[in-house]
Amino acid sequence: MLRVDGIDVHYGVIPAVRELSLSVEKGQIVTLVGANGAGKTTTLKAIMGVLLPRRGSILYKDEDISQLSSDKRVRKGIVLIPEGRHVFSKLSVRDNLTLGAYHRNDREGIRRDKEWIYRLFPVLKEREMQMAGTLSGGEQQMLALGRGLMGHPELLLLDEPSLGLAPIVLGEIYEVIKEINNSGITILLVEQNISMAMKIAQYAYVMETGKVRTEGKSDDVMKRENIMKAYLGE
Amino acid sequence: MFPAEYYFQQLFNGIVFGSMYALLALGMTVIYGILRLIHFAHGALITIGGFIFYVFFTVFGFPFIAVMGIVIALGGLLGVVLDVIAYRKVVGGPEVSMLITSLGFYIFIENLMKLIATPQPYPFKPPMFLDRLFSEWLITFRTVDLFIVITSVAIMLLFNLFVKKTKIGLAMVATAESGETARMVGININRIISLAFIIASAIAAITGFMWGSKYGQISYDMGFTAGVKAFVAIVIGGVGSIPGAMLGGMILGMLEMFSVAFLPPGYAGYRDGIVFFVLILILIIRPSGILGEKEVK
Repeated sequence: MLRVDGIDVHYGVIPAVRELSLSVEKGQIVTLVGANGAGKTTTLKAIMGVLLPRRGSILYKDEDISQLSSDKRVRKGIVLIPEGRHVFSKLSVRDNLTLGAYHRNDREGIRRDKEWIYRLFPVLKEREMQMAGTLSGGEQQMLALGRGLMGHPELLLLDEPSLGLAPIVLGEIYEVIKEINNSGITILLVEQNISMAMKIAQYAYVMETGKVRTEGKSDDVMKRENIMKAYLGE
Repeated sequence: MFPAEYYFQQLFNGIVFGSMYALLALGMTVIYGILRLIHFAHGALITIGGFIFYVFFTVFGFPFIAVMGIVIALGGLLGVVLDVIAYRKVVGGPEVSMLITSLGFYIFIENLMKLIATPQPYPFKPPMFLDRLFSEWLITFRTVDLFIVITSVAIMLLFNLFVKKTKIGLAMVATAESGETARMVGININRIISLAFIIASAIAAITGFMWGSKYGQISYDMGFTAGVKAFVAIVIGGVGSIPGAMLGGMILGMLEMFSVAFLPPGYAGYRDGIVFFVLILILIIRPSGILGEKEVK
């Protein structure tokens, strides 16, 4: 479904990702792990089109999208849930969800997705009219996820959904991530919480200083303890 | 002391001028919210709006409603042109370069107007039905004063509905909060920016008609004072806040009229000094303006 082939991505003039390749098959959960500053977020941003790669290609459903703008990629079914949540704090929960479906016109589908999201996160329904900025951290993460799902993604890019969450909420979020995947949405998951990510993903890429150091089935990667120690500092 | 009618009169005048400042401040704030740009060239749209009205109404003799349509359309069009040629390339650059660009464009347009229209002011008359004088009641007013107040209130209500109830309006608020996140949910930001310029500029162009009617004349440099006042209104109300901009405009209008009312005769010319003194006082007490939020970075 997604094939990233040898991309170089820069933050301004600073190279953040070099010759990175990865691929995600339809229906999978693939995780991208690595220490802080390894280039994981940069990679997601390049796939989303927030940053454009200087070299290499990004193929999505066999089409090169590496120079398309983000809003066009959203239309093609790629949605990124950014790190640190980034909900629209001055808008209500409901308006945030409405904007998630900004590019869609299928009223019926939008209504169904909204109901689905309220089933996944009942607390969002309760706080429908509340300003998003007044939600707790966990609730904001749920809203960010919900807003992303409103875009009806086929490929969901998740950036550190566990960041700053209490263990209980964390478990809840991961349950939902599984459920989202079961509904047929492919997921590329960036995490620093490696054990969580490895448990849920079928395939893993380990990044270090802008490059993929190792990859494999997550169980196998987990077993290679020395690798974990060397690259992840665990 | 003056009779009570005098204060009612000043109150009314304050509302009329406040309405115009509020309209300008509204447009400037919308653009500031999205681009973090102090849009000085906004004042130029007033000048242009006034002149468009003059040309089509006074010179060509088109009907009033049609002329208003032309003013709105051309004003909006000019807004997009400004957006595309002046700002699109500097957005995201240092704030100073955006500031200089906007100031530069104001000066450029003012000079262009001076060249086209000559430095001579033109007498400006609203259509007959807006030029009727009423003085039988408590206060003296012209129908154009009512037009200004009613139109302003209508525009502000409509704008409020737009940002609260429509998807594009919500997208505008979202883009103002974070362009990057807005892009990630599939919003085409450039289109939202253009729309903001269209709305703000069309409103400013209408205000140009009001301004000309109030002062009885238009000139190539009328936009300067207007722009500065809109800016002051924004700062009073709280930079970035839409209700703040409207409130700031009203307060500024009141301040001006009442400082004249309470100044001893012969000192009316020092009005601006008083106004800015109060502005400084407000900023000392509330540095982020009356409805402004503290910047959290």
